[in-house]
Amino acid sequence: MERTERLLDLVALLLDAREPISWSELRDAFPEDYQASSDEAAERKFERDKAELLELGIPIAYVQGDDDRKDGYVVDREAYYLPEVGLSPEELAVLYAAGSAALASGAFPGSPDLAHALRKIGFSAGTQVPTPRVRMEWGAVQSGLEQDLGPRLEQLWAATASRKWVELSYYSPRTGATTSRRVDPYGLAMRRGIWSLVGFCHLRQGVRTFHVHRIRTFKVNPFKPKTPDFDVPRDFRLDDHVASYPWQHRIHSPVPVTLSLRGEIANLAARLFPDAKVQSAGSCSEAIVTATYVDGLLRYALSLSPDCTVLAPPDAVERWKQMAARILQAHRSRPAALGASA
Amino acid sequence: MSDVHERLRRLLFLVPYISKHPGISVEELARALSLTPDQLLKELDLLTMVGRPPFQPDDYIDIYVENDRVYVDLDQRFSAPPRLTAAEATALTAAAELLKPAAGGALQSALAKLEKVLPADVRSRFRDMERKIDANVQGSDEFAPLAKAIFSRREVTFAYFSQGRGAVEQRRARPLELFSHRGQWYLHAYCLSRKDQRLFRLDRIRDLALTSTPFELGNAARPTVPNPAGAAGEVKVRFSPVAAPYVRERFGQTVRTMPDGGAEVNVAGDSERWLVQWILSFGGEAEVLGPDWAREAVARAATTAAPKAC
Repeated sequence: MERTERLLDLVALLLDAREPISWSELRDAFPEDYQASSDEAAERKFERDKAELLELGIPIAYVQGDDDRKDGYVVDREAYYLPEVGLSPEELAVLYAAGSAALASGAFPGSPDLAHALRKIGFSAGTQVPTPRVRMEWGAVQSGLEQDLGPRLEQLWAATASRKWVELSYYSPRTGATTSRRVDPYGLAMRRGIWSLVGFCHLRQGVRTFHVHRIRTFKVNPFKPKTPDFDVPRDFRLDDHVASYPWQHRIHSPVPVTLSLRGEIANLAARLFPDAKVQSAGSCSEAIVTATYVDGLLRYALSLSPDCTVLAPPDAVERWKQMAARILQAHRSRPAALGASA
Repeated sequence: MSDVHERLRRLLFLVPYISKHPGISVEELARALSLTPDQLLKELDLLTMVGRPPFQPDDYIDIYVENDRVYVDLDQRFSAPPRLTAAEATALTAAAELLKPAAGGALQSALAKLEKVLPADVRSRFRDMERKIDANVQGSDEFAPLAKAIFSRREVTFAYFSQGRGAVEQRRARPLELFSHRGQWYLHAYCLSRKDQRLFRLDRIRDLALTSTPFELGNAARPTVPNPAGAAGEVKVRFSPVAAPYVRERFGQTVRTMPDGGAEVNVAGDSERWLVQWILSFGGEAEVLGPDWAREAVARAATTAAPKAC
């Protein structure tokens, strides 16, 4: 009998049973499957089936008998069925909007699980499920490689969820080199449209962040797929390791940088620098931004020219002026002076 | 994830779903399960073989297709789908977090209700898995009221900082969709002030207000954010070897590699302000080669970058 069919039969049998079903009854019910081989092999086969059912959320358990009932396997019906969640239309709408947009983006870890979760929560809502009006497209993916991102995230997510190490070759645009490393995947994070894998890097002996689109090839530890390779430290938080803004690079130490904003963007200071301390006076705002990647902040500040000025600390001001001078030099002289001025 | 797992999960959902929608068309049912009609019919075939030992006629699931419509005889065992698994709850929560905190209280309460219906053993696995996905698209405060306006189809008014004009303008619009592209949120709306469809960046919207004016939903095409790079772009930009790999990563095929390891790209020149900002954001690693107006605009902006406190 095909495995899918056998498992469904098992569920049907157990859901219908009025009393526990013993192992010998199960063997009699599925003679082709649980009797054809040795006792040990048959038991292992049933254990695998049971594990699969548990994975599907089917509460199968073995109960010890007493005076009233015999030993055997049961499925707790109370625990099997999806209960009424009692979501309001607004709650359902926002879950649907988020879930559908994540699915439609084409790259979200656990997409098949997400699709099923949406179906299940929509079950009681019937045809009244609202049409989602939210759409998401990720970026930072090399043109032509977008379709790889989804399947890749699924595989990385499977390794993350089952705590298996991955061996990856990782491309760095900074050095132009590709390095091979073994990584214990702790989690997946997305910021500003970019998916990252965060994990313990055995090459660097520390927690590192890898942009998923820069992983050239990878393979998951194929041995003992059901046995985890590592533990994730209790105090580990993904947010500590991923950059939310261009002025963050989580492994560097923080530097407070003071910026002055004028004109139309003076009022937008708190929006442009959401994590900054902002003080406004008239048509001018001052923002103190804690930067872990000062060059990233300076480039961002330059892009807001002429309405944004770097005020402190002195070395950041100096570096910002140098960048501006270099741009000016390149654009005042003959074209293609950039290489010469570098 | 194994095929068996995926298939079983689908089949355990299928029976209660058909029970709930007797006579549902093959096409509609296939769509609900994200299958093709042929794939669905194969699944239905398998279901007709499912039953409980000793497999007497009454022991089988009685499922059948008549005139392209699907029926199942009331089956108490499969009256509802199974509970959410830890993986399903995790994926749903992670997706919902995408809209947090922008989506407001409804999202928070929805997630709390979902967690409450998870059995204890599933809940502890869920909590362990849930901290392993952290996806955030940084919605702004306008997100929740705009989502509400979209669902209730009401016109909105707001002040918009137009980058192209460098000025704040008052707009009235019919909100159609919230759209995140490369980590940036946009509102797709029919702008009544401009009498055309527009994409508005959420971070440039201020003083948003919902009006009481309803509107009817037309058949608006879904807009895309244009890729600024392309051979037809009139502005030619040269990048240093330091910046070139990042540019190649972003624009792929449209990038020309130079002998020194640098790169060249043609980009659109329809927004001078965007172009200048973009060039400046490379901090000296990008140079406009032409036309002259674009070089001059970048030079002008760079001149003003000197410490001038208010």
